[in-house]
Order: sequence, then structure tokens, then C-alpha cells
Amino acid sequence: MHAAFAPAIAVAVAAASSSVEAGRLRLNNVGKRFGAMAALDGVSLDIRAGEIHCLLGENGAGKSTLCNLVFGVHAPDSGSMLLDGAPYRPRGPADALASGIAMVHQHFSLVEDASVADNLLLGQSRGLLKRREAGARIRALAAQYGLELDPDAMIADLSVGERQRVEIIKCLMREPRLLVLDEPTAVLLPDEIAALLAVCRKVADSGCGVVLVTHKLAEIRQVADRITVLRGGRTVASSTAPATDIDSLVAAMIARDPKASTMPAAPAAPRRALSSDVRDEVLQVDGLTVKDAHGALRLDNVTLIVNRHEIVGIAGVEGNGQSELAAALSGMTKPAAGRFFVNGRPLAGSAPQEITRAGVGIVPEDRHAVGCVTGLSVAENIFLNQLHKFTRRGMLDRSAMRAAARGLMQRFDVRAASEDVAFGGLSGGNQQKAVLARELTQDNLALLIAAQPTRGLDVGAVEAVYNHIRAARDRGVAVLLISSELDDLLAVADRIVVLYRGRIMGVCPAGPEQRARIGAMMAGQSHD
Amino acid sequence: MTNAPSLNFTPARALPVAAVLLAMAVGILLVALTGVPVGEALGAFADGAWGSPYAIGASVNRAVIFALVGTGFVLADRARLTNVGGEGQIAVGAIAATAVSLYGGVQGLPLGLAFVLPLLAGALAGAAWGALPGLLKARAGTNEVISTLMLSFIGVWLLYWSVQSERLLRQPMSNSGTLPESLEIPSTTRLPFFLGDESMPINIGLPLTVLLGLGAAWLLARSLFGLHLRSVGLNALASRQAGMPIARTVVLAMTLAGALGGLAGAIMLQGDQYALKSGFSSGYGFDGLVVGLLARGSLPGVFAGALLFGFLRSGGINMEMAASVPSALVQVVQGMIILAVAGAALWMDRHGAAR
Amino acid sequence: MSPELSAVFIGSAIRFATPLLLGATGELVSQRAGVLNMSLEGMMLTGAFAGAVGSWATGNPLIGLALGILAVLPVALLQAFLSITLRANQIVTGIGINILALGGTTLAYRELFGSRSSAAIPGLDKWAPPLLRDIPVVGQMVFEQVWLFYLGLAIIAATAFMMRQTALGLALHAAGASPRAVDKSGLSVNGLRYGAVMFSGVMAAIAGCFISIGDIHTFTEGMTSGSGYLAIAAIIFGNWKLGRMLLACLLFGAATALQFFLPTVGVQVPSALLIMLPYLLALLAVAGVIGRQTAPGHLGEAYQRG
Repeated sequence: MHAAFAPAIAVAVAAASSSVEAGRLRLNNVGKRFGAMAALDGVSLDIRAGEIHCLLGENGAGKSTLCNLVFGVHAPDSGSMLLDGAPYRPRGPADALASGIAMVHQHFSLVEDASVADNLLLGQSRGLLKRREAGARIRALAAQYGLELDPDAMIADLSVGERQRVEIIKCLMREPRLLVLDEPTAVLLPDEIAALLAVCRKVADSGCGVVLVTHKLAEIRQVADRITVLRGGRTVASSTAPATDIDSLVAAMIARDPKASTMPAAPAAPRRALSSDVRDEVLQVDGLTVKDAHGALRLDNVTLIVNRHEIVGIAGVEGNGQSELAAALSGMTKPAAGRFFVNGRPLAGSAPQEITRAGVGIVPEDRHAVGCVTGLSVAENIFLNQLHKFTRRGMLDRSAMRAAARGLMQRFDVRAASEDVAFGGLSGGNQQKAVLARELTQDNLALLIAAQPTRGLDVGAVEAVYNHIRAARDRGVAVLLISSELDDLLAVADRIVVLYRGRIMGVCPAGPEQRARIGAMMAGQSHD
Repeated sequence: MTNAPSLNFTPARALPVAAVLLAMAVGILLVALTGVPVGEALGAFADGAWGSPYAIGASVNRAVIFALVGTGFVLADRARLTNVGGEGQIAVGAIAATAVSLYGGVQGLPLGLAFVLPLLAGALAGAAWGALPGLLKARAGTNEVISTLMLSFIGVWLLYWSVQSERLLRQPMSNSGTLPESLEIPSTTRLPFFLGDESMPINIGLPLTVLLGLGAAWLLARSLFGLHLRSVGLNALASRQAGMPIARTVVLAMTLAGALGGLAGAIMLQGDQYALKSGFSSGYGFDGLVVGLLARGSLPGVFAGALLFGFLRSGGINMEMAASVPSALVQVVQGMIILAVAGAALWMDRHGAAR
Repeated sequence: MSPELSAVFIGSAIRFATPLLLGATGELVSQRAGVLNMSLEGMMLTGAFAGAVGSWATGNPLIGLALGILAVLPVALLQAFLSITLRANQIVTGIGINILALGGTTLAYRELFGSRSSAAIPGLDKWAPPLLRDIPVVGQMVFEQVWLFYLGLAIIAATAFMMRQTALGLALHAAGASPRAVDKSGLSVNGLRYGAVMFSGVMAAIAGCFISIGDIHTFTEGMTSGSGYLAIAAIIFGNWKLGRMLLACLLFGAATALQFFLPTVGVQVPSALLIMLPYLLALLAVAGVIGRQTAPGHLGEAYQRG
């Protein structure tokens, strides 16, 4: 694209906007606690009209809480907010909207069985619904900012990227003074990201202030006028020339030397040579095809192999079929076509119980929805899929189960007050360790499927997770690792398979030198 | 954490008790407003509730019915399934028990089979009435509140039909004044007395229900099925990934709840009424449902609530007969208790009532 | 079967359907907004009682109607407060209010009228649309109905228009389908739901008044005898759409009318089966036997921000 020009443009714009008026939105020493935890601690921030201000920080740094405060979902416990110089104390989203602050959230709030126009009219109109007028206005706005949108389409029929456009138009229709976007690129393809950033630029140029909340560095390089870095609920760095300060900003974000890998270091042992012996094949996927509820193709004729002693990484932007692949392999959805085998056993369409018995361990993408039952105890969750081991004639031997759980908790460093406390009370990292403990200690474990296993975890937990996965690989387990963190895959996996729009774009050995090639495949440019 | 229920007195536990006392106070106020001397009304109430061995027997028998329906409700509720079909399950249970008692040829059977078989028939009929919504939920995702509610009405009207039609269960009509009822069931099919005799007619339904209650408690706390119920209720998706048999658990839970309701109907017939009449279940199913709801998942709570409502009902009936205070007043008190406990559910959740 | 007989049948069917369609209209709006209002039965009964008392005391049935509506408003408010603000289980509160209403109206009735079984009450007039009334032979039988029926039709039409074409209707629909979207758009989910429940209360009151002042001209204890639940069944059978719900109500009314009609043509069907029929139909509907069901996504769930 225009990658070569972007930094120059960014600098030029930065220079121009430094002469702009005083802050549109100013936060002074804002603090917010949830129970004992301080989500924000003395944050001061200044957003100017006409600028794109990036809020950078890892997961758990306080970005979402900040957005919620700005948007009136919560009230700050300390500090103050000023909007165009006047005190700003919204009591709810309605106040925020009335004050001219609009927000595009990570999770969309759209009415599925209504049209785009209806969704945009919700809360915006009185009396009769003037749909045709709204439709015309939508088309005009869409054209002005370069978005494509059909006002009469039903939300249920739209893709994720299109739905986001609806959310953006929803905000723009209110002619906001400030537009906040919370992790907007998490589910977009590289093309769509470029389009989104162009829209942000146009919005900022029209005088609105734009706050872009993200943890992806590539984006801010292109468009940020200024950056503020959050870590642990505090502002730890800010910059008005982000393109040049990238390294120090990243360091501030993770408090580690960015020159070293942001990933737990790979062990010194050389990567194993890729095996071509058929007897080493553990997982054989053949032409797997999955359709969604509307009949749209989500996984298209996927064929791949995972061997013993091997970690195969599935790379790709979220939303390109990874979730469907994991769901099909774990027995949660029936594939529309194709087969897969584990050690020769056909399992397509089998129930989760059979798949587990065939020696497959599953770490699901959505831990809370699928991986555990937060209301049950730690012990019950650790043996959730192996309860029969402690069952005799219908009766559950709870004391044996609890003793065994204690043992596993120690082995896998799962920290909790006891094995009897509610699972939901554990931190994300400990929960994931417990899930790994469960899956990795299964009898006859032949294959581990781990989908986004480090999502939402802090650095220490991430390291522990990858250590366990590598240990399993070394023991002989075949591992299918699905992750949207390309850097992680490059460091941990042996081979990488790239998924794009449900198809395999290509397969290549892992290694940092493959980065560009894989990135291109992730964007849909086929290589083999 | 998921094991035996404890009996500590937390503020949240105290609330249902407070609600009952408050509602009763309002009830007394209403009595005063109707002009009836409060002392007289309360005396009649006490008389009817526990004033004589007979009254106690009647109250306990009622409580047994409520306890069975309430226990079934709590079992299904573990899996977040709401069974509001108690009324219909009682009805079909009673129909089956009547049919088997009168025409099943069990009269002469030894070893108590004469009354056991009709009880079983009642439980089976109720089980079917619970299994159907269970299957609908497991297969088609049908909301079980609606399906059990509809089946409840259907069951009640089936009972009405069965005593309307001579070809079914109606007693032979000697003249046009013959009531729409079945014949009286033979004495061998009636439930034997447990503690007393005709003067205090507590039948073996009581020990049976207590045993079933204990069985249910054991099932919930110690069995694999009990954990499945809880897991499915909390998170069906994760339970499915963990290999639990979701459909089977759902159907079994609803079937058990229905079976207990059907058994209640059979016990009502064989232990108390001795003949099937239209208007048979007359709200017992809803009362049992309310007992289950108010117990908030606790089986001891079910039994406590069942006793309370049992005595309330008996007292109310006598208050009407002896002191001319409409038994509708008891309904008002009941309604207030229900609303008070339901309204405070959030508060109770926050202040530590076990669930 | 003579035209007169059919006309009588259709006329009765409409008569039996009227309280259902009145009550169901309000309940449908409440359910579309996300509140499962099981207390419909109790609200109808309260309206029937208050309307009867008002009409009897003042001699004017219109005042009775007004009193009926006024009396139900606090009940609807109670239901709304419990279900929406206190986030109590909607089924429990519904049943609780039904029991309370049954006991309360019975008690009050006994106090006011003693145990006289039924005091005569001045009733509401009937009306028929001019042209239709003049159809020979059948016109009067079919179309001369208590005017509440025609009011009900008008309200249904107005409600349908409101739901499809106005901002309020969109907001109500969204409150049940995606309450978060409503909240994020700056509207109040709870406010909308309160309004919907109050509306269902008003409609329930009118339905109850139809039974007591309009149709039977008296009050008897528990006189709604399940109509509230039947109305809910009609909504389910109508898949939460007003037009189909109206047809369902007419169908259920016809089933009730058949009870009295069939014996006159010599067909002996046990009345219990006919009474059971609407519930059976609703059961078949929820079982998906009659096509896919699309209930409002968040029906029965209290809304909590975040």
C-alpha cells in the first residue's frame, strides 16, 4: 500500500496538529477501583480536536476501564474529566452521547433481526420512522467516509467487518466531538484495517478528536498523531512523534527490552527435523468443510497433518475459520463435509466424549464459555471430562477427586485458596493452567488442540502455558496451536499453516525470517 | 462447597421467615378489617391447622404433596430447568392410579402390591408428563416453562374428561344427579396408615416422601448425576465439551420431577380422597411449585415450606368453616409471601444464601 | 347447517375471543420488550372485579371501565417493579400476583356483596358497524358485539402500526431482542419495559372488564378461569406476531364456542377436549411442529448493564 509514505505523512500531520487548540477531552488524575483492584490509578490524558490519539497498552492495562469512564458506563472514584474546558460528569451513555462522545465498542450491540437503517434509527428518532430519509443519509455518510453500506440489509446477514461499519456510521451520524474506537482492528483483515484507518483520518480531519485504543503497534505507526501508553492502570509514557519513538513506547508498554523477543525464549535445543514418516502422523485432516447457521462456508476443504513431537501453528487473523476448525475438531460442531482421524480413528462428527477418549486434549478458545464451569469448584473443573474415573456405581468419590486435584494443582502451579473454591475466582492465568492440567494429564494423550491459549493472560502465565505446550511436544504429543499472535507462533511452532477466509493459504516452516511471507498469506496472497 | 446443606442462620436465610411473619401480620390485620374478632379467627385457624389429631393428619398429608412437587422442582432446577407442570403431573398421576386401582385387577394382590402398583402407575404417568417437555427441550430447545405449563392445563382437563365420561372413569350414572366422579377405590388399594388411624390419618405417604427427599439430597450431593445436573445448569456448552450427556441429563431431570408429581397425585388419591373427582388437584400443583421456588434450591427448605403451606391451607379451610373468614385470605397471605421472597432474591443472593 | 346457526356460532366465537385478544395484545408488547408477564390472569381478574364494583356502585358502566383500569395500574406497577427493578424471577412474581389477585378479589367480593352469588351489574352496550350490521340474516348475530371488541381491533391495528413504523415500536422490539443495543443507544431499557408492562396492565383491565361488565354483567370469583394463560398460549401460537396472534385468539374462541355449539348439531364431543384444544395447539407450536418459533431473544431476562 502506501507504507512508504505513511511515516512521512504521519510526521507532517503531527507537525500540523501541534498548533491546534487546547484539549477537547482532558482527564486529570483519574482513578477507578473495582473492589480491591485499582483498574486506573492517577491517569491524566489530553485529547485534542482533529487528532488521532492512540491509547496503547497490553491486556489488563486499564484501556477498557478508561473507555468506560469516558463513555459514562462507570464514574471515576477520583480525579476529574473536562470536555472542551467544562467539567464532564456523565451519568450514563446517554449523557456521554448528548455531550458529543461516541464510541465503537469491541463487542457490537446491534439488533440482529432488524435492518441497518433501523439499527441506526434506534434511539435517534422520534415519532414515525423515516426510513427512506435515513437510508439516504446513511448512503451519503458512507460515501463521504469511504465505507460501503446497504441501509436495507439485515444485520444477521452482515460480516463482522460490515457490522463494524454499521457501528461506525452509528457514531458518525451523531456528529460527535470525540470518537473512541476500542480495539477496532482485532477482527479485521489487513485490507479492512487500512480502510478503517483511512476513515479515522477523515474523521479527525473533519475536526473530531479520535481515540484509537489498541495493542497493535503497526497501526499506530501509520496514523497516530500522539500516543499515550498505559500499563497497570497508569500512564507510563506519551509521545507526539510516535513513528520515531516506537521502540521506547513498546518498552514502556511491556517493561522489557523490546529488542529481546516479546515472547518466552525458545529453548536452546534445535528444532526437530520435520518428519515425513506416515506412522508419525497423529492428526490427519482431510477436506474438512464447515458451514455456519446461514449456510455460509466458514472452513473450506482444509487438509493438514500434525505429527508426533510437533507443534503445528494455525496462523491467521481472527475470524478466518480458526474457531470453526477448533469447534469441528473438538466435536462441538458437525462438519458439512470432510473427515479427520486421530491415530487412524475417524472422528468427524463424533461427540466430544469420543474425541476425548481417542486421546485428544482440548483447550478451547473461549475459556469461560466452553472450557470450564466457573460455578463449580477447582477440583470439579480439573476433572470435568474425567469424572468417570472417580465414579463407582453412580457415586462420586469426592475425597479422592479432591486429593488428586491437589496433586495436579501443585504440579501445574495452579494458585488458589483450595481445591474447593469456585473456579471463577481464580485469575485468568491460573484458570488456564488448570485447564492445561486437565488436558495434558489425560490417559493416552496423543493430540493437544490449543485455541488462543494465551488470550487475556499476563506475561508470566503466557510463559507457563508455552512451557507446558513445549513439554508436551517433547514428550511426543502432537500439538495443534491456533493463535492470532504471529510472533508467538513464529517462536514456538515447528510449522505454520495459514488460514484465510477458511482456506489454507500455505504451509511453511516457522521462524522469524518467514514473517513477511506469512503476513502476506494472512492477507490472502497465496504462495503455493 | 457443593455438598451437604448447612443450617447456619445468615441474614439471607432469615428473610423468608421474616416474610412469612410479616405476611401473617398483614393477614391478621385483614381479618380485623372484615369485622370478625381476631381471636375467634385465629382460634379457628389453629384448630384447623393443628387443633386436633385429625387436623394435624390432614395438614401433614397436604404437606406431603407439596413436598413431593417441590422436591421435583428443585431437582430440575439444579439443571436450570423450570418445571411449572406440577398441577398436570398430579392430575395424570391420579388418573393412572385410579385406573389401576379400580380396573387394573390389583385388588387382591398380596404383599401390599394392591396399593404399591397404583402408586407406581401414578409415578410413571407423571414421569411421561415430565419426559415430554424434557425431550422437547433437549431436541428442539423448547422453553420448558411454556411446555410444562401447557401440559399442565392439558393434564387437568384430561382428568376432567376422564371423570365426565362413563366410558372412562366416571362412576355409572344411576340418575342425572350422579356426580362426575369415579367409583371409590377398593380398601386394599388405599394407603395404610403410618402413625395413627382414622382419627389422625397420616398415611405411609409421609415416610415415603421423607425417604424420597433424602434420596434426592443424596442424589444431588454425592452422585455423578447430581454433578451433571449442576454442571449442565451452570454451563451447558462447557458440559458438552467435557463429554457430559446433556440431552440425557435434561430428559432425566424433567422425568424425575414429573414422576414425583405423578406420585403426589397417586398419594392424594390413595391416601386421602379415595375417588377421582373433577377439581381434584385444585391448586396443589401450583402450591408445590411455589414451595419449590421459595426454597431456592434447598431441600430442607422445601420440606419446611411444604409444612408451612400445608398447615396454612388446613387452617384457612377451617377459618372459613368455623369463623366465616374466607379462605381467600390465606391465598392473600400466600401471595404476599411469594412476592416478598421473590422480590428479595437479589438481596438474598448478595448476602449469602446458599443456592 | 343453517346460516343462522353458523352466524350464532361465529358470533359466540368472537365473544369468547374478545378478552383473549384484548389481554394478549398488551401481553405481546410486554413480551416483545422482554418481560414475560405471567400475572396477566391476575390483572384481568382485578380489572374484572374493579370494573364490576365501579359499574355497580355508580350505575355507569363507563365509570366502571375507568375504575377497572385504574385498579390494575398499581398491580402492573408492582409486577414491573419486581421483575424489572428488583430483577426477581418473572415466573414466580407472575404466579404470586395471580394468587394474590385471586385471594384479594374473592375476599373483597365477599366483603362487599356477602355470599350473594351474583349482584346484577349495569353492563356495557353492544355495537355493530353500520354496513355489516345490515347483512340479512347473519349480520346482527355476527357483528353485534360489545363495543370493546371493535375497540380491541382498533388497538391491535394501532399497536401493529406502532411496532412497525415508529421509533417507540423499534425501541420496544430491540428491548427484547438486544437490550444492550438499546442501552448503548442512550435509551432506557427499564423505562421501555415499565411502559410495556403498564400497557399490558391497561389491556388486561379492559379484557377483564369485558368479561364482567361487557359479557356476563356480574362478577363471580375467579371468573377469568384461565383466560390469561390462554392469551399467553395465543401469543406463542402466533409466534409473537400481532396478526397471527389475533387469528390464534379467534381460533381459541371458536374452540370454546364449539363446546356449546356442537351439542346443538348433535355432535357429542367431551367439552374437556375442546377446552384443552388451545393448549394443545400452543404446545404443538412451541414444539416446532408448526414451523420455527422466534421468541424475543431476551424474553424473561432482567437487564443489567455491563
